[in-house]
Amino acid sequence: MHDQKTLKASEMFTMIGLFIGMKVTDTTPTLFAQKAQNAFWLIPIISFLVILPSFFLLIYLLKKAQNKNLMELIESLIGSKLGKTLGFLIFLSSFLLMCLDSRSYVEQIKLLYFPASPTTVLFFLFLCVVFFGAKKGLEVIGFTVKTSFLFIKLSALLLALLISVEIVWQRIFPIFGSGLSTILKEGALKGSIFSEFFLLTIAYTSFKDTKQFRIGTLFGVIFVIIEITFFFFVYATVFDYNSIEKASFPFHDITQYVQLGEYFANIETFFMVFWLLAGFLRFIIYIYLITWIFGAVFNISEFEPLILPFSFITLIIGMVPDNSVINELLFRDMLLNYVTPLFVLFPVILWIVALSRGALKK
Amino acid sequence: MSRLQKGKKAIKQMYEKKEKLQEDAKDNAERLKQLFSYGINKDFSYKQLVADYNKKKIYLFFYASIVNSDKIEEFIIKPIHEGEGDKLSKIINTRDLIEITDFEQATDDINNGKIVLLMEGDSIGYSMEVSDFKHRAISQPANESVIRGPKEAFTESLFVNISLVRKQIRDKQLITEQSSVGTRSKQSVVLVYVSDIVNDEILKNVRERIESIEVDTVRNVELLEQYIEERPYSIFPSILYTERPDNAGAYLEDGHIILLMDNSAACLILPVTFWDLFHSPEDRYSRFIFGNFTRAIRFFSFYITTMISAAYVSLANFHSEMIPPDLLFAITAAREYVPFPLIVEILLMEFAFELIREAGIRIPNPLGPTIGIVGALILGQAAVEANIISPIIVIVAALSGLTSFVIADTSLNYTVRISRFIFILSAAFLGMLSLVGVFLLWFMYAASLKSFGVPFFAPLAPYYKSSGDTMFRKALRAEIWRPSHIKPKDLHKKQRK
Repeated sequence: MHDQKTLKASEMFTMIGLFIGMKVTDTTPTLFAQKAQNAFWLIPIISFLVILPSFFLLIYLLKKAQNKNLMELIESLIGSKLGKTLGFLIFLSSFLLMCLDSRSYVEQIKLLYFPASPTTVLFFLFLCVVFFGAKKGLEVIGFTVKTSFLFIKLSALLLALLISVEIVWQRIFPIFGSGLSTILKEGALKGSIFSEFFLLTIAYTSFKDTKQFRIGTLFGVIFVIIEITFFFFVYATVFDYNSIEKASFPFHDITQYVQLGEYFANIETFFMVFWLLAGFLRFIIYIYLITWIFGAVFNISEFEPLILPFSFITLIIGMVPDNSVINELLFRDMLLNYVTPLFVLFPVILWIVALSRGALKK
Repeated sequence: MSRLQKGKKAIKQMYEKKEKLQEDAKDNAERLKQLFSYGINKDFSYKQLVADYNKKKIYLFFYASIVNSDKIEEFIIKPIHEGEGDKLSKIINTRDLIEITDFEQATDDINNGKIVLLMEGDSIGYSMEVSDFKHRAISQPANESVIRGPKEAFTESLFVNISLVRKQIRDKQLITEQSSVGTRSKQSVVLVYVSDIVNDEILKNVRERIESIEVDTVRNVELLEQYIEERPYSIFPSILYTERPDNAGAYLEDGHIILLMDNSAACLILPVTFWDLFHSPEDRYSRFIFGNFTRAIRFFSFYITTMISAAYVSLANFHSEMIPPDLLFAITAAREYVPFPLIVEILLMEFAFELIREAGIRIPNPLGPTIGIVGALILGQAAVEANIISPIIVIVAALSGLTSFVIADTSLNYTVRISRFIFILSAAFLGMLSLVGVFLLWFMYAASLKSFGVPFFAPLAPYYKSSGDTMFRKALRAEIWRPSHIKPKDLHKKQRK
């Protein structure tokens, strides 16, 4: 009797808030700061503007198609073969991004808290938790994210409040940092930092009704861009241009700065707990959605058993880069650049096809 | 062959053949005597009378130990000797004279405290309710005490329990539906529900589960719980067990189902969510602010009892920078002469606390104070002085032990105590990393559970319309809805103005 779908807008909102909002605390700001220095907080806005039209186009197409999820929509518009190829491309790029991303998380855990432990062991443990969590299915993931969302974001807010004394807001000047062209170029190239938006559309029909999905998405997207810009702004104004390039993990660096009164001087572990929780949840969502897309491409309706092999492959691919610097500044940077056109273009192509076929008039 | 063996053989025959009562009452009487091993089975009584109105022989069978002999004397023997009329049913003029046609029913009735009556020349028998099972008087709840609120508890008698529930809800729609479990010794299970509120699908589900139990005996609700629950290996309970009729009444009004049985001074409430297990009836009897204050304390305790030991292990072993320097020095100094690793210390102390707790339940009353002495003096002080454990561990373990008592529900209490050990071990492995990971999996496991189709964390996640009685409760006047996660037929608690 309770088989009907129970996910609602609040679950969608919080899922976006965690899934993409976590970019604030990983190595993405480091990546941007290499190029744009103090103006790097503007990059997400540019990236967002680059990717947003495509994303809304996709949502519009989904709304028109009614009860179809991402893969069903693609296949119905551009045919089975082309659709599957495109779906596989989306899967492959996201999967590779996830592998490198998860490696970067594990590197953060290792460097900051367990320097003596081998990366492989930490990675393995991390993926164990992610695997068992993802096995529980989308609904449980949704409820868990919803329950923990408030605590995670409150801890982040507390951090922002504690660090506010260190902020010198004049540091954002010159407002375009090392030049407007750099920011525009980097912003456009890194549109793919928001590629997770597209992954979520595979779950379009799994919500109580699709309207809930759209409402949750709308508010989630607004929330995420405000959050990311705000935190990047905080990093830029706390660190300044001399040190921002060298700050490897701005979020964790900040947690080491702050203190709660005179007595509690090192409270980074407090923030680490919430960060870890969010990190686990982020990759649980990530691997679940990616496996789902894979299952949809290859017509595997019972895709959840695939989570185990995918976790394993993630471990193997994630261990390929020798160290975090190569992982970040070479592989992840490159991949993000290459993947952007794919996500920017494919909804447009879909839209053109739909338009020429007259599928939108119905 | 001895009489006992003959009796056993006769019982087997009876069940296999579904034996009907025969033409001749004398044969039937002999057969019944054989079935119940008359003569060896001392409290099995057999009486032969001659009815006054038609001068025929009448045979009576019953267990002397479980019937009311006054009732037999007054309503059966006296009318048979003196009554006038043309039919037996007119002479024995009670409401529950039931005709029986086969031996299985006859034996069941005798086992259930009824009297079976056979008459010469009649191929059907009669049975009549005269049972008088002994039971304890109604007393105060032993394990769910409250300061404000009724102090009546269920007792081991089914009839008394039904009456206690009826006393709470005087509603014509309150149905007490009887079914039986067990193949050898049949016990009746009573499903209680308010028929115009309860969800029919859940009701059907519960009925089916009770019917599908195939065992010799289910003696009481404690055992019934384990037969009908979905996941017998889970650490989370999925059925609420309460000894308070008022609690049962509150759940009935919301559309839950209650199961009652003889031999249990408690009832089962289902389906339930985490919040139902977490609440105490006192929360609602207290005023809004007071009730929510205790809820807040309980939540805090819940957190402390599951996490404090684990957090201490992980902070002291892996994240010592988090502990302020002065405190860290104190901890290190206290641990200087302790030969064990921290995790061993914690486990020792937690285990000792569990020992005291278990012993406290089992120990005979006159020896009770011993536990206090052993616990406080030997485990606390002497162990510290002997450098087996450091003093700070005593504080941690005492806190985690004390706070565990705040969880009112006994089943959830076990969950919390077991989870505590899981968390301690995981914290010892890789500090906060493994602790957070295991906690997340623990939480996700709980979130994936369902009690009779109802998600464990409903109505919070997933969200359902409800009275809002979850972490905190609203003012009673603001409670408009019944919990919609159990899909009641009538969602409105009262009409909105």
